[in-house]
Amino acid sequence: MNKRKGLTAKLLLTIQICLVSNLFFPSIAFAYVDPGSGSVIVTTILGLIAAIGYTFRKYFYKVKRMITGKKAEEDQDEEDQDQDNE
Amino acid sequence: MRKIKIKIMNRVKTKPEANAGSFRDPANRVYEVAPESSGEKARILRGLSEDALTIYQQLSGEAFFQKALAAGHVVQTELLEADDENASLVMIDGWAGVLEHEAVPFVTYPYEWSFSMLKDAALLQLHLIEKSLENGWTLKDATTYNIQWIGPRPVFIDVPSFQPWKEGEPWVGYRQFCSMFLTPLLLRAHLDIDHLPILRSYIDGIPPTEAAKYFTGSKRFKKGVLSHIIFPAKVENSIARRERDDAPARQRITRKQSKAMVLGLVQSLSRLVRKLSIEIKHTDWSQYYKTHSYEEADFSAKKAFVTKHASTTKQEHIWDIGCNTGTFSKVSSKYCSQVISVDGDHNAVEQLYLAEKMNAGSNILPLVMNLSNISPGQGWGGSERQAFDQRRKPDLVFCLALIHHVRMSANIPNAFFLKWLHSLQAGVILEFVNREDEMVMKLLTNKKEQYEDYSLDQFIKEAEQLFTIKDRESLKDGKREIFYLTPR
Repeated sequence: MNKRKGLTAKLLLTIQICLVSNLFFPSIAFAYVDPGSGSVIVTTILGLIAAIGYTFRKYFYKVKRMITGKKAEEDQDEEDQDQDNE
Repeated sequence: MRKIKIKIMNRVKTKPEANAGSFRDPANRVYEVAPESSGEKARILRGLSEDALTIYQQLSGEAFFQKALAAGHVVQTELLEADDENASLVMIDGWAGVLEHEAVPFVTYPYEWSFSMLKDAALLQLHLIEKSLENGWTLKDATTYNIQWIGPRPVFIDVPSFQPWKEGEPWVGYRQFCSMFLTPLLLRAHLDIDHLPILRSYIDGIPPTEAAKYFTGSKRFKKGVLSHIIFPAKVENSIARRERDDAPARQRITRKQSKAMVLGLVQSLSRLVRKLSIEIKHTDWSQYYKTHSYEEADFSAKKAFVTKHASTTKQEHIWDIGCNTGTFSKVSSKYCSQVISVDGDHNAVEQLYLAEKMNAGSNILPLVMNLSNISPGQGWGGSERQAFDQRRKPDLVFCLALIHHVRMSANIPNAFFLKWLHSLQAGVILEFVNREDEMVMKLLTNKKEQYEDYSLDQFIKEAEQLFTIKDRESLKDGKREIFYLTPR
Protein backbone atom coordinates (compact mmCIF):
# COMPACT_ATOMS: atom_id res chain seq x y z
CA MET A 1 0.00 0.00 0.00
CA ASN A 2 2.80 2.36 1.04
CA LYS A 3 4.81 1.33 -2.02
CA ARG A 4 1.88 2.28 -4.29
CA LYS A 5 1.57 5.64 -2.52
CA GLY A 6 5.29 6.30 -3.04
CA LEU A 7 5.03 5.44 -6.74
CA THR A 8 2.04 7.76 -7.19
CA ALA A 9 3.93 10.58 -5.50
CA LYS A 10 6.95 9.99 -7.78
CA LEU A 11 4.72 9.96 -10.88
CA LEU A 12 3.10 13.22 -9.78
CA LEU A 13 6.55 14.75 -9.25
CA THR A 14 7.61 13.66 -12.78
CA ILE A 15 4.51 15.27 -14.28
CA GLN A 16 5.14 18.44 -12.28
CA ILE A 17 8.78 18.60 -13.40
CA CYS A 18 7.77 18.07 -17.06
CA LEU A 19 5.13 20.79 -16.83
CA VAL A 20 7.50 23.25 -15.14
CA SER A 21 10.30 22.48 -17.59
CA ASN A 22 7.95 23.02 -20.54
CA LEU A 23 7.19 26.46 -19.14
CA PHE A 24 10.90 27.29 -18.97
CA PHE A 25 12.42 25.80 -22.12
CA PRO A 26 10.89 28.06 -24.79
CA SER A 27 11.97 31.28 -23.07
CA ILE A 28 15.64 30.38 -22.74
CA ALA A 29 18.01 31.26 -25.56
CA PHE A 30 21.35 29.45 -25.78
CA ALA A 31 24.71 30.66 -27.03
CA TYR A 32 27.55 28.18 -27.62
CA VAL A 33 26.50 25.35 -25.39
CA ASP A 34 28.82 23.22 -23.32
CA PRO A 35 27.34 20.24 -21.50
CA GLY A 36 27.38 22.10 -18.19
CA SER A 37 25.30 25.03 -19.40
CA GLY A 38 22.15 22.94 -18.93
CA SER A 39 22.74 22.92 -15.21
CA VAL A 40 21.49 26.53 -15.01
CA ILE A 41 18.08 25.26 -16.13
CA VAL A 42 18.30 22.20 -13.89
CA THR A 43 19.30 24.18 -10.79
CA THR A 44 16.59 26.78 -11.48
CA ILE A 45 13.83 24.17 -11.59
CA LEU A 46 15.16 21.93 -8.81
CA GLY A 47 16.03 25.06 -6.80
CA LEU A 48 12.45 26.34 -7.04
CA ILE A 49 11.11 23.05 -5.70
CA ALA A 50 13.82 22.90 -3.02
CA ALA A 51 13.18 26.53 -1.97
CA ILE A 52 9.60 25.65 -1.02
CA GLY A 53 10.86 22.93 1.32
CA TYR A 54 13.66 25.17 2.59
CA THR A 55 11.29 28.01 3.46
CA PHE A 56 8.81 25.64 5.08
CA ARG A 57 11.54 24.05 7.23
CA LYS A 58 12.95 27.45 8.17
CA TYR A 59 9.58 28.57 9.59
CA PHE A 60 8.88 25.15 11.08
CA TYR A 61 12.14 25.29 13.09
CA LYS A 62 11.40 28.88 14.07
CA VAL A 63 8.04 27.82 15.52
CA LYS A 64 9.66 24.75 17.08
CA ARG A 65 12.29 26.92 18.76
CA MET A 66 9.59 29.23 20.08
CA ILE A 67 7.82 26.25 21.63
CA THR A 68 10.91 24.48 23.03
CA GLY A 69 12.76 27.68 23.96
CA LYS A 70 15.94 26.45 22.20
CA LYS A 71 18.23 29.01 20.61
CA ALA A 72 19.22 28.88 16.93
CA GLU A 73 22.90 28.49 17.93
CA GLU A 74 22.13 25.31 19.86
CA ASP A 75 20.59 23.75 16.74
CA GLN A 76 23.64 24.91 14.79
CA ASP A 77 26.04 23.27 17.22
CA GLU A 78 24.08 20.00 17.03
CA GLU A 79 24.25 20.16 13.24
CA ASP A 80 28.02 20.74 13.26
CA GLN A 81 28.43 17.85 15.67
CA ASP A 82 26.50 15.63 13.20
CA GLN A 83 28.95 16.55 10.42
CA ASP A 84 31.90 15.62 12.63
CA ASN A 85 30.33 12.25 13.32
CA GLU A 86 29.63 11.44 9.66
CA MET B 1 61.57 20.70 -16.84
CA ARG B 2 64.26 23.35 -16.29
CA LYS B 3 64.93 23.89 -12.61
CA ILE B 4 65.56 27.45 -11.49
CA LYS B 5 68.24 27.78 -8.84
CA ILE B 6 68.63 30.86 -6.71
CA LYS B 7 71.37 31.74 -4.26
CA ILE B 8 69.89 32.78 -0.93
CA MET B 9 72.26 33.57 1.90
CA ASN B 10 75.07 31.59 0.30
CA ARG B 11 72.85 28.52 -0.18
CA VAL B 12 71.58 27.35 -3.53
CA LYS B 13 67.83 26.76 -3.39
CA THR B 14 65.93 24.89 -6.06
CA LYS B 15 62.59 26.31 -7.10
CA PRO B 16 59.72 24.17 -5.76
CA GLU B 17 58.23 21.78 -8.30
CA ALA B 18 54.79 22.76 -9.61
CA ASN B 19 52.26 19.97 -9.05
CA ALA B 20 51.40 18.21 -12.32
CA GLY B 21 47.73 17.98 -11.34
CA SER B 22 47.29 21.64 -10.41
CA PHE B 23 46.65 23.77 -13.49
CA ARG B 24 42.91 23.85 -14.11
CA ASP B 25 42.27 26.96 -12.04
CA PRO B 26 44.35 29.83 -13.49
CA ALA B 27 44.01 31.78 -10.23
CA ASN B 28 46.38 29.53 -8.29
CA ARG B 29 48.86 26.67 -8.51
CA VAL B 30 50.24 24.15 -6.05
CA TYR B 31 53.98 23.62 -5.58
CA GLU B 32 55.81 21.00 -3.60
CA VAL B 33 59.03 21.68 -1.73
CA ALA B 34 60.91 18.40 -1.44
CA PRO B 35 62.29 17.67 2.04
CA GLU B 36 65.97 18.55 2.44
CA SER B 37 66.66 15.62 4.76
CA SER B 38 64.96 12.30 5.44
CA GLY B 39 63.45 13.48 8.75
CA GLU B 40 61.74 16.49 7.17
CA LYS B 41 58.33 16.60 5.57
CA ALA B 42 57.51 17.98 2.14
CA ARG B 43 56.03 21.50 2.19
CA ILE B 44 52.92 22.23 0.13
CA LEU B 45 52.74 25.80 -1.17
CA ARG B 46 50.13 27.47 -3.34
CA GLY B 47 50.75 30.54 -5.47
CA LEU B 48 47.79 32.95 -5.61
CA SER B 49 46.86 35.55 -8.21
CA GLU B 50 46.18 39.09 -7.00
CA ASP B 51 42.39 38.51 -6.94
CA ALA B 52 42.75 35.15 -5.23
CA LEU B 53 45.00 36.72 -2.58
CA THR B 54 42.47 39.48 -1.84
CA ILE B 55 39.70 36.88 -1.55
CA TYR B 56 41.81 34.71 0.77
CA GLN B 57 42.54 37.70 3.02
CA GLN B 58 38.78 38.30 3.30
CA LEU B 59 38.03 34.61 3.82
CA SER B 60 40.61 34.12 6.56
CA GLY B 61 38.74 36.65 8.70
CA GLU B 62 35.40 34.83 8.36
CA ALA B 63 34.21 32.96 11.45
CA PHE B 64 32.70 30.08 9.44
CA PHE B 65 36.07 29.47 7.72
CA GLN B 66 37.98 29.57 11.00
CA LYS B 67 35.47 27.09 12.45
CA ALA B 68 35.96 24.76 9.45
CA LEU B 69 39.75 24.95 9.95
CA ALA B 70 39.46 24.25 13.67
CA ALA B 71 37.17 21.26 13.04
CA GLY B 72 39.67 19.83 10.54
CA HIS B 73 37.16 20.08 7.69
CA VAL B 74 39.56 22.32 5.75
CA VAL B 75 43.29 21.65 5.52
CA GLN B 76 45.43 23.80 7.87
CA THR B 77 46.51 26.85 5.87
CA GLU B 78 48.52 30.00 6.44
CA LEU B 79 49.62 32.92 4.30
CA LEU B 80 53.41 33.05 4.04
CA GLU B 81 55.42 36.23 4.39
CA ALA B 82 57.11 37.32 1.18
CA ASP B 83 60.52 36.83 2.81
CA ASP B 84 59.97 33.07 3.21
CA GLU B 85 62.65 31.69 0.88
CA ASN B 86 60.40 29.12 -0.75
CA ALA B 87 57.54 31.61 -1.11
CA SER B 88 59.84 34.04 -2.90
CA LEU B 89 60.86 31.26 -5.28
CA VAL B 90 57.21 30.46 -6.05
CA MET B 91 56.47 34.15 -6.61
CA ILE B 92 58.94 34.16 -9.50
CA ASP B 93 56.07 32.64 -11.52
CA GLY B 94 54.12 35.90 -11.08
CA TRP B 95 51.95 34.99 -8.09
CA ALA B 96 50.92 37.80 -5.75
CA GLY B 97 50.99 35.69 -2.58
CA VAL B 98 51.76 32.19 -1.35
CA LEU B 99 49.80 29.94 1.00
CA GLU B 100 51.22 26.99 2.86
CA HIS B 101 48.99 23.96 3.48
CA GLU B 102 49.56 21.09 5.85
CA ALA B 103 50.71 18.18 3.67
CA VAL B 104 48.25 15.28 3.62
CA PRO B 105 50.06 12.01 4.36
CA PHE B 106 49.19 10.30 1.07
CA VAL B 107 47.33 11.62 -1.97
CA THR B 108 44.43 9.42 -3.05
CA TYR B 109 41.80 9.59 -5.76
CA PRO B 110 38.04 8.88 -5.69
CA TYR B 111 38.44 5.72 -7.75
CA GLU B 112 40.26 4.26 -4.73
CA TRP B 113 37.60 5.11 -2.13
CA SER B 114 34.96 2.73 -0.84
CA PHE B 115 31.27 3.69 -0.94
CA SER B 116 31.20 5.20 2.54
CA MET B 117 34.41 7.13 1.91
CA LEU B 118 32.87 8.73 -1.17
CA LYS B 119 29.66 9.35 0.78
CA ASP B 120 31.53 11.06 3.64
CA ALA B 121 33.55 13.11 1.15
CA ALA B 122 30.26 14.18 -0.51
CA LEU B 123 28.75 15.16 2.83
CA LEU B 124 31.82 17.23 3.68
CA GLN B 125 31.62 19.02 0.33
CA LEU B 126 27.91 19.75 0.90
CA HIS B 127 28.50 20.83 4.49
CA LEU B 128 31.14 23.33 3.37
CA ILE B 129 29.01 24.81 0.61
CA GLU B 130 26.04 25.08 2.96
CA LYS B 131 28.07 26.91 5.60
CA SER B 132 29.61 29.11 2.90
CA LEU B 133 26.21 30.11 1.49
CA GLU B 134 24.84 30.87 4.92
CA ASN B 135 27.71 33.32 5.35
CA GLY B 136 27.63 34.96 1.92
CA TRP B 137 30.24 32.71 0.32
CA THR B 138 30.17 29.83 -2.13
CA LEU B 139 32.50 27.19 -3.59
CA LYS B 140 33.35 27.69 -7.23
CA ASP B 141 33.61 23.96 -7.99
CA ALA B 142 32.74 20.59 -6.49
CA THR B 143 35.36 18.11 -7.58
CA THR B 144 36.23 14.98 -5.62
CA TYR B 145 39.93 15.78 -6.12
CA ASN B 146 39.49 18.67 -3.67
CA ILE B 147 38.98 16.14 -0.89
CA GLN B 148 41.89 14.22 0.58
CA TRP B 149 42.28 12.11 3.71
CA ILE B 150 44.15 12.38 6.98
CA GLY B 151 43.79 8.83 8.30
CA PRO B 152 40.11 7.94 7.80
CA ARG B 153 38.98 11.61 7.97
CA PRO B 154 38.18 13.59 4.81
CA VAL B 155 39.64 17.07 4.52
CA PHE B 156 38.96 19.80 1.96
CA ILE B 157 42.22 21.01 0.39
CA ASP B 158 41.29 23.59 -2.26
CA VAL B 159 41.09 26.80 -0.21
CA PRO B 160 40.89 29.16 -3.25
CA SER B 161 37.66 27.39 -4.20
CA PHE B 162 35.92 29.61 -1.61
CA GLN B 163 34.50 32.69 -3.36
CA PRO B 164 32.16 35.49 -2.25
CA TRP B 165 28.60 34.61 -3.31
CA LYS B 166 27.01 37.19 -5.59
CA GLU B 167 23.28 37.82 -5.19
CA GLY B 168 21.38 35.69 -7.70
CA GLU B 169 24.33 33.39 -8.50
CA PRO B 170 23.34 29.73 -8.99
CA TRP B 171 25.33 26.84 -7.49
CA VAL B 172 27.94 26.55 -10.25
CA GLY B 173 29.34 23.30 -8.87
CA TYR B 174 26.00 21.45 -9.01
CA ARG B 175 26.66 19.46 -12.20
CA GLN B 176 30.19 18.60 -11.10
CA PHE B 177 28.92 17.48 -7.70
CA CYS B 178 26.36 15.18 -9.33
CA SER B 179 28.85 13.73 -11.85
CA MET B 180 31.67 13.19 -9.39
CA PHE B 181 29.95 12.36 -6.09
CA LEU B 182 26.24 11.67 -6.41
CA THR B 183 26.04 9.56 -9.58
CA PRO B 184 28.64 6.97 -8.49
CA LEU B 185 26.92 6.76 -5.09
CA LEU B 186 23.55 6.21 -6.76
CA LEU B 187 25.00 3.55 -9.09
CA ARG B 188 26.39 1.60 -6.14
CA ALA B 189 23.47 2.13 -3.73
CA HIS B 190 20.60 1.53 -6.17
CA LEU B 191 22.05 -0.86 -8.75
CA ASP B 192 25.01 -2.46 -6.90
CA ILE B 193 27.27 -1.42 -9.79
CA ASP B 194 30.98 -1.19 -8.99
CA HIS B 195 31.48 2.56 -9.34
CA LEU B 196 35.29 2.50 -9.03
CA PRO B 197 36.33 1.35 -12.54
CA ILE B 198 33.79 3.81 -13.98
CA LEU B 199 35.25 6.67 -11.94
CA ARG B 200 38.75 5.64 -12.95
CA SER B 201 37.78 6.11 -16.59
CA TYR B 202 35.62 9.21 -16.17
CA ILE B 203 38.16 11.19 -14.15
CA ASP B 204 36.02 14.33 -14.47
CA GLY B 205 32.90 12.51 -13.33
CA ILE B 206 30.13 10.55 -15.02
CA PRO B 207 28.07 12.87 -17.27
CA PRO B 208 24.28 12.67 -16.71
CA THR B 209 23.68 11.56 -20.30
CA GLU B 210 25.88 8.50 -19.68
CA ALA B 211 24.54 7.85 -16.18
CA ALA B 212 20.95 7.90 -17.49
CA LYS B 213 21.68 4.80 -19.58
CA TYR B 214 22.06 2.72 -16.41
CA PHE B 215 18.70 3.80 -15.02
CA THR B 216 16.14 2.41 -17.41
CA GLY B 217 12.49 1.43 -16.78
CA SER B 218 11.40 1.54 -13.16
CA LYS B 219 15.02 2.09 -12.00
CA ARG B 220 14.66 5.76 -12.91
CA PHE B 221 12.15 6.17 -10.07
CA LYS B 222 14.71 5.26 -7.41
CA LYS B 223 15.51 8.00 -4.90
CA GLY B 224 17.31 10.97 -6.45
CA VAL B 225 17.60 9.48 -9.95
CA LEU B 226 14.78 11.33 -11.66
CA SER B 227 15.82 14.75 -10.38
CA HIS B 228 19.60 14.52 -10.56
CA ILE B 229 20.26 12.15 -13.46
CA ILE B 230 17.26 11.69 -15.79
CA PHE B 231 16.11 15.31 -15.78
CA PRO B 232 19.62 16.84 -16.31
CA ALA B 233 20.26 14.26 -19.06
CA LYS B 234 17.02 15.27 -20.82
CA VAL B 235 18.00 18.95 -20.59
CA GLU B 236 21.52 18.30 -21.92
CA ASN B 237 20.25 16.14 -24.77
CA SER B 238 17.70 18.80 -25.66
CA ILE B 239 20.43 21.50 -25.69
CA ALA B 240 22.70 19.32 -27.84
CA ARG B 241 19.87 18.81 -30.37
CA ARG B 242 19.20 22.57 -30.55
CA GLU B 243 22.87 23.41 -30.94
CA ARG B 244 23.32 20.90 -33.72
CA ASP B 245 20.54 22.51 -35.73
CA ASP B 246 21.26 26.08 -34.71
CA ALA B 247 24.78 27.09 -35.76
CA PRO B 248 25.01 30.83 -34.90
CA ALA B 249 25.76 31.46 -31.28
CA ARG B 250 23.14 33.34 -29.34
CA GLN B 251 23.38 35.18 -26.05
CA ARG B 252 22.19 32.98 -23.22
CA ILE B 253 20.01 34.52 -20.56
CA THR B 254 21.15 33.50 -17.11
CA ARG B 255 18.45 33.25 -14.54
CA LYS B 256 19.00 34.67 -11.09
CA GLN B 257 18.53 32.28 -8.24
CA SER B 258 17.64 33.22 -4.71
CA LYS B 259 19.67 32.03 -1.73
CA ALA B 260 16.69 29.91 -0.65
CA MET B 261 16.82 28.09 -4.01
CA VAL B 262 20.56 27.41 -3.81
CA LEU B 263 20.57 26.49 -0.11
CA GLY B 264 17.41 24.42 -0.53
CA LEU B 265 19.06 22.42 -3.31
CA VAL B 266 22.24 21.86 -1.29
CA GLN B 267 20.27 20.76 1.77
CA SER B 268 18.02 18.43 -0.23
CA LEU B 269 21.16 16.79 -1.68
CA SER B 270 22.58 16.39 1.83
CA ARG B 271 19.42 14.60 2.93
CA LEU B 272 19.54 12.39 -0.16
CA VAL B 273 23.22 11.44 0.28
CA ARG B 274 22.74 10.74 4.00
CA LYS B 275 20.00 8.21 3.18
CA LEU B 276 22.09 6.27 0.63
CA SER B 277 23.46 2.98 1.90
CA ILE B 278 24.78 -0.36 0.74
CA GLU B 279 24.51 -3.81 2.17
CA ILE B 280 27.88 -5.32 3.05
CA LYS B 281 27.71 -8.80 1.63
CA HIS B 282 29.88 -11.71 2.65
CA THR B 283 32.69 -11.65 0.09
CA ASP B 284 35.92 -13.65 0.01
CA TRP B 285 37.70 -11.21 2.30
CA SER B 286 35.06 -9.21 4.17
CA GLN B 287 34.88 -11.89 6.89
CA TYR B 288 38.62 -12.67 6.95
CA TYR B 289 38.99 -11.92 10.63
CA LYS B 290 36.85 -14.97 11.42
CA THR B 291 37.35 -17.19 8.36
CA HIS B 292 41.17 -17.20 8.07
CA SER B 293 42.78 -20.62 8.04
CA TYR B 294 45.03 -20.13 11.08
CA GLU B 295 44.92 -21.79 14.47
CA GLU B 296 45.16 -19.29 17.32
CA ALA B 297 48.82 -20.11 18.17
CA ASP B 298 50.00 -19.67 14.57
CA PHE B 299 48.02 -16.48 14.18
CA SER B 300 49.68 -15.11 17.32
CA ALA B 301 53.12 -16.11 15.99
CA LYS B 302 52.40 -14.28 12.74
CA LYS B 303 51.28 -11.18 14.68
CA ALA B 304 54.42 -11.36 16.83
CA PHE B 305 56.67 -11.56 13.75
CA VAL B 306 54.95 -8.54 12.16
CA THR B 307 55.10 -6.56 15.41
CA LYS B 308 58.78 -7.39 15.91
CA HIS B 309 59.81 -5.91 12.57
CA ALA B 310 57.31 -3.06 12.44
CA SER B 311 58.33 -1.83 15.88
CA THR B 312 62.12 -2.10 15.81
CA THR B 313 62.70 0.95 13.62
CA LYS B 314 60.51 4.05 13.44
CA GLN B 315 58.50 3.77 10.24
CA GLU B 316 56.83 6.77 8.64
CA HIS B 317 54.59 4.93 6.18
CA ILE B 318 53.56 1.31 6.21
CA TRP B 319 51.67 -0.17 3.27
CA ASP B 320 49.53 -3.19 4.04
CA ILE B 321 48.79 -4.53 0.57
CA GLY B 322 46.13 -7.20 0.46
CA CYS B 323 44.95 -5.96 3.87
CA ASN B 324 41.52 -7.68 3.98
CA THR B 325 39.73 -6.12 6.94
CA GLY B 326 42.98 -4.64 8.23
CA THR B 327 43.98 -6.96 11.09
CA PHE B 328 47.69 -6.31 10.54
CA SER B 329 47.18 -2.63 9.69
CA LYS B 330 45.73 -2.25 13.18
CA VAL B 331 48.57 -4.25 14.73
CA SER B 332 51.21 -2.01 13.15
CA SER B 333 49.47 1.37 13.28
CA LYS B 334 51.07 2.40 16.56
CA TYR B 335 54.57 2.00 15.14
CA CYS B 336 54.25 4.45 12.25
CA SER B 337 52.68 7.78 11.34
CA GLN B 338 50.47 6.40 8.54
CA VAL B 339 49.21 3.02 7.37
CA ILE B 340 47.95 2.75 3.79
CA SER B 341 45.74 -0.35 3.74
CA VAL B 342 44.94 -1.61 0.26
CA ASP B 343 42.71 -4.42 -0.91
CA GLY B 344 40.81 -5.23 -4.10
CA ASP B 345 37.75 -6.39 -2.13
CA HIS B 346 35.47 -3.37 -1.80
CA ASN B 347 33.46 -4.74 1.10
CA ALA B 348 36.54 -5.64 3.15
CA VAL B 349 37.87 -2.10 2.74
CA GLU B 350 34.45 -0.63 3.47
CA GLN B 351 34.36 -2.55 6.77
CA LEU B 352 37.83 -1.34 7.70
CA TYR B 353 36.88 2.27 6.89
CA LEU B 354 33.64 2.11 8.89
CA ALA B 355 35.54 0.72 11.89
CA GLU B 356 38.44 3.19 11.66
CA LYS B 357 36.35 6.32 11.22
CA MET B 358 34.86 5.66 14.65
CA ASN B 359 38.35 5.43 16.09
CA ALA B 360 39.47 8.98 16.95
CA GLY B 361 43.10 9.54 16.04
CA SER B 362 43.25 6.57 13.68
CA ASN B 363 46.13 6.77 11.20
CA ILE B 364 44.83 4.03 8.90
CA LEU B 365 43.78 5.05 5.40
CA PRO B 366 41.92 2.21 3.64
CA LEU B 367 41.90 2.09 -0.17
CA VAL B 368 40.24 -0.18 -2.73
CA MET B 369 42.60 -1.30 -5.47
CA ASN B 370 43.28 -4.41 -7.49
CA LEU B 371 46.99 -5.01 -6.97
CA SER B 372 47.43 -6.60 -10.37
CA ASN B 373 46.20 -3.32 -11.90
CA ILE B 374 47.15 -0.47 -9.56
CA SER B 375 45.94 3.09 -10.26
CA PRO B 376 47.93 4.34 -13.23
CA GLY B 377 49.23 7.82 -14.04
CA GLN B 378 46.42 9.44 -16.02
CA GLY B 379 44.70 12.66 -17.01
CA TRP B 380 46.59 15.33 -18.95
CA GLY B 381 49.98 14.06 -20.10
CA GLY B 382 49.46 10.90 -18.06
CA SER B 383 50.65 12.76 -14.97
CA GLU B 384 47.69 14.81 -13.79
CA ARG B 385 46.72 11.92 -11.50
CA GLN B 386 49.72 9.99 -10.27
CA ALA B 387 50.18 6.23 -10.32
CA PHE B 388 49.72 4.62 -6.91
CA ASP B 389 53.39 3.66 -6.61
CA GLN B 390 54.71 7.06 -7.74
CA ARG B 391 53.13 9.24 -5.04
CA ARG B 392 55.18 8.53 -1.94
CA LYS B 393 57.41 5.58 -1.18
CA PRO B 394 56.61 3.46 1.88
CA ASP B 395 59.14 2.54 4.57
CA LEU B 396 57.73 -0.93 5.17
CA VAL B 397 55.40 -3.10 3.09
CA PHE B 398 53.29 -6.01 4.25
CA CYS B 399 52.38 -8.72 1.72
CA LEU B 400 50.78 -11.26 3.97
CA ALA B 401 49.42 -14.36 2.26
CA LEU B 402 49.12 -12.42 -0.98
CA ILE B 403 51.77 -13.84 -3.29
CA HIS B 404 49.83 -17.04 -4.17
CA HIS B 405 46.93 -14.85 -5.38
CA VAL B 406 49.27 -12.68 -7.41
CA ARG B 407 50.78 -15.82 -9.00
CA MET B 408 47.74 -18.05 -9.40
CA SER B 409 44.78 -15.67 -9.68
CA ALA B 410 46.43 -12.85 -11.64
CA ASN B 411 49.06 -15.02 -13.41
CA ILE B 412 51.88 -12.66 -12.47
CA PRO B 413 55.23 -14.45 -12.06
CA ASN B 414 56.79 -14.18 -8.59
CA ALA B 415 59.90 -12.58 -10.13
CA PHE B 416 57.75 -9.74 -11.55
CA PHE B 417 56.05 -9.18 -8.22
CA LEU B 418 59.38 -9.18 -6.36
CA LYS B 419 60.81 -6.70 -8.87
CA TRP B 420 57.88 -4.35 -8.27
CA LEU B 421 58.30 -4.68 -4.49
CA HIS B 422 62.01 -3.96 -4.87
CA SER B 423 61.22 -0.77 -6.82
CA LEU B 424 59.54 0.59 -3.67
CA GLN B 425 62.92 0.48 -1.88
CA ALA B 426 61.33 -0.45 1.44
CA GLY B 427 61.54 -3.28 3.92
CA VAL B 428 59.06 -6.07 3.14
CA ILE B 429 57.30 -8.52 5.43
CA LEU B 430 56.12 -11.26 3.09
CA GLU B 431 54.25 -14.41 3.93
CA PHE B 432 54.82 -17.21 1.43
CA VAL B 433 52.02 -19.76 1.19
CA ASN B 434 53.33 -23.20 0.25
CA ARG B 435 51.72 -25.56 -2.25
CA GLU B 436 50.72 -27.85 0.65
CA ASP B 437 48.58 -25.14 2.26
CA GLU B 438 44.85 -25.80 1.93
CA MET B 439 44.25 -22.33 0.52
CA VAL B 440 46.69 -22.91 -2.36
CA MET B 441 45.17 -26.36 -2.95
CA LYS B 442 41.75 -24.72 -3.16
CA LEU B 443 43.07 -22.22 -5.69
CA LEU B 444 44.58 -24.99 -7.82
CA THR B 445 41.63 -27.40 -7.66
CA ASN B 446 39.97 -26.34 -10.88
CA LYS B 447 42.97 -24.94 -12.72
CA LYS B 448 44.59 -26.65 -15.68
CA GLU B 449 47.78 -24.65 -15.12
CA GLN B 450 49.39 -25.94 -11.93
CA TYR B 451 52.17 -23.30 -11.63
CA GLU B 452 55.00 -25.79 -11.18
CA ASP B 453 57.42 -22.87 -10.78
CA TYR B 454 55.64 -21.88 -7.58
CA SER B 455 57.70 -23.30 -4.71
CA LEU B 456 59.43 -22.04 -1.57
CA ASP B 457 62.91 -22.86 -2.93
CA GLN B 458 62.27 -21.01 -6.17
CA PHE B 459 60.82 -18.05 -4.27
CA ILE B 460 63.88 -17.81 -2.00
CA LYS B 461 66.20 -18.02 -5.01
CA GLU B 462 64.38 -15.16 -6.75
CA ALA B 463 64.00 -13.07 -3.60
CA GLU B 464 67.72 -13.28 -2.76
CA GLN B 465 68.63 -11.68 -6.06
CA LEU B 466 66.93 -8.44 -5.00
CA PHE B 467 66.60 -8.60 -1.22
CA THR B 468 68.50 -9.70 1.87
CA ILE B 469 66.55 -12.13 4.01
CA LYS B 470 66.95 -10.60 7.47
CA ASP B 471 64.61 -12.94 9.29
CA ARG B 472 62.26 -15.84 8.58
CA GLU B 473 59.91 -18.08 10.50
CA SER B 474 57.88 -21.17 9.69
CA LEU B 475 54.13 -21.09 10.32
CA LYS B 476 51.28 -23.64 10.16
CA ASP B 477 53.60 -26.66 10.41
CA GLY B 478 55.71 -25.50 7.50
CA LYS B 479 52.79 -24.78 5.18
CA ARG B 480 53.68 -21.10 5.33
CA GLU B 481 56.89 -19.15 5.75
CA ILE B 482 57.07 -15.51 6.81
CA PHE B 483 60.08 -13.37 5.77
CA TYR B 484 61.48 -9.98 6.62
CA LEU B 485 63.32 -8.69 3.54
CA THR B 486 65.35 -5.56 2.98
CA PRO B 487 66.21 -4.32 -0.52
CA ARG B 488 69.77 -4.87 -1.79
